[in-house]
Amino acid sequence: MSRRRESGVRLQRVLALVPWILANPGVTVSELAARFEVEERELEEDLELLPMCGLPPYTADRLIDLVVADDGAVTIRLAEYFERPVRLTPAEGVALLAAGRALLAVPGSDPDGPLATGLEKLERALGATGSLAVHVDAADHLEQLRAAVERGDQVELDYYSSARDEMTTRVVDPFRIFHAFGAWYLAAWCHRAGAERLFRVDRVRAVRETGHRVEFSDTTVSDGSDLVYRPSPDDPRVRLRLAPDAAWVAESIPTEDRVVRRNGTIEVVLAVSGPAFLERLLLSLGPAATVMKPVEVRAEVAAAASRILERYAPTST
Amino acid sequence: MSDRLERLVNLTATLLDTRRPLTLDELAERLEPSYPEEKAARRRAFERDKETMRELGIPISVESVEVFGGEVGYCIHPGDYYLPDLALTADERAALHVAVSAVRLEGNDAQAGLRKLGGIEGSGAPPLAQLAVAPALADCFDAVARRRTLEFTYRGESRLLEPYGVVHRFGHWYVVGRDAHRDGPRAFRVDRIEGAPIAGDPGTFEPPADTDPAEYIRDDPLTYGDAKPVSASVLVAASRAPLVVDELGEDAVVERRDDGSVVVALQVVNREAFRTWVLGLLEHAEVLAPADLRADLVAWLSAFAGDTA
Repeated sequence: MSRRRESGVRLQRVLALVPWILANPGVTVSELAARFEVEERELEEDLELLPMCGLPPYTADRLIDLVVADDGAVTIRLAEYFERPVRLTPAEGVALLAAGRALLAVPGSDPDGPLATGLEKLERALGATGSLAVHVDAADHLEQLRAAVERGDQVELDYYSSARDEMTTRVVDPFRIFHAFGAWYLAAWCHRAGAERLFRVDRVRAVRETGHRVEFSDTTVSDGSDLVYRPSPDDPRVRLRLAPDAAWVAESIPTEDRVVRRNGTIEVVLAVSGPAFLERLLLSLGPAATVMKPVEVRAEVAAAASRILERYAPTST
Repeated sequence: MSDRLERLVNLTATLLDTRRPLTLDELAERLEPSYPEEKAARRRAFERDKETMRELGIPISVESVEVFGGEVGYCIHPGDYYLPDLALTADERAALHVAVSAVRLEGNDAQAGLRKLGGIEGSGAPPLAQLAVAPALADCFDAVARRRTLEFTYRGESRLLEPYGVVHRFGHWYVVGRDAHRDGPRAFRVDRIEGAPIAGDPGTFEPPADTDPAEYIRDDPLTYGDAKPVSASVLVAASRAPLVVDELGEDAVVERRDDGSVVVALQVVNREAFRTWVLGLLEHAEVLAPADLRADLVAWLSAFAGDTA
């Protein structure tokens, strides 16, 4: 962090810290450190600085009077102008409300609990009552899978793999369930694949307990800092040229190596997680997408089109 | 570095305490630790301080001063600065802490906001959800809260919106409201707004009573557009029937056949969205009616079938 940026971070903390101490005289240094998520040593530096601050001409009666007692209890006087924290910025307000509304929308949340009442107070203060909504879809097996994650139950799933367009049955050790990109995902160790896999909960058709318990050590599962889908490095790559009106593909699907040409067409490389994924994408894009590499993919898509057309052939009915 | 922090604290205190705007010269005379003597360096140092403070949401007001014309003074109006007391209980703060730790957004704004509300309470929670972020989201939210119009470019067209709310759905943020040019309700993807939106003056419109922003986002892309809806029927193979019935609901089923396949009915306005939906089922679905939608799909697929390079 640059020194300049660090001054900002510390100023932000000081302007939140002082009002809290004013409202809660006698709060201890260790309580403050925990509350404001900072090392005690760093906090002590902030507290040492404050008695040097105040109003011109910086005489004793104009400087902040801060006392840390032997037992760590902190009291402040002569800082009435910092009686309240700074107003929330729009970015802070929307982030807090979004997180709160999202959690409240998760099935099983208490619609009248402290989160709901806290959010109402926050919205009122921001003048934004009822103006932010987060939609979280429910999925049939969500509750059951959440319980399995919490208890550490191994389960057998009937799962529709969209990328491969096939129904599968597999035993998995679930370790995390989360909502991202508008859908619920289950992260689990898949015994069939012998690897960690993400499953979309709305594509789970059945869940059966195997009766086994699983235990993960912290090092065997990814740490959750990365809830986002990442294409596997092993997946085959396809290079596409997209007409300008198909530019949404580059926004909606993780793409690599994106180049915008002067005529407005876009070339992207994308990871193909399964043949059905690519067939669906190219069949729905039609003339708006051209496969640049590998050219064999063109014949695969043509074959998929023929497979569907058989349904419409006069002889098939 | 401590010197700069000390000056920033003192500058904030002085600007909050003053009853009239202070010029940079006046501030430099009073403040400790002092600004550089040299004029240009002093101005640069002050501008840096001001920028740091504004980033934190400190509202510094710049006002003209009745001395040698053209001079400006600075102050902070307490009413703009102080966060009103939300009277949050410890339980409510703990619940907000759980929300902020369970629901992830890019950046640290939620954590910074939580500190202003009194810091963290309780033990938080493991990650449960991730929300998208878009650069224009804070501007859109501010405009909603303060009833400011928004002017922006969207898909190359200029728009003027009275924003009623922001909604996260399908993994994206939408800003919804009344499109003043087209005089109708509209929803816009916030991440597709080009550049920074321009906000009008506060308090220039009033949303209709009982506005529910979520209702502005239509559930079903097949119904997007202004054409007259037609009813289409689609045969879905047994292997995919349960998935489709789950998606559309039992009401959409018009026929269950002995082989386990189902015929579902859909209201179609947007023909492209319908085609994409049917093709999503690959060879497991067939458009039965109306004849023109069936013929459209056959023609569309036939264009590929010739492509046997």
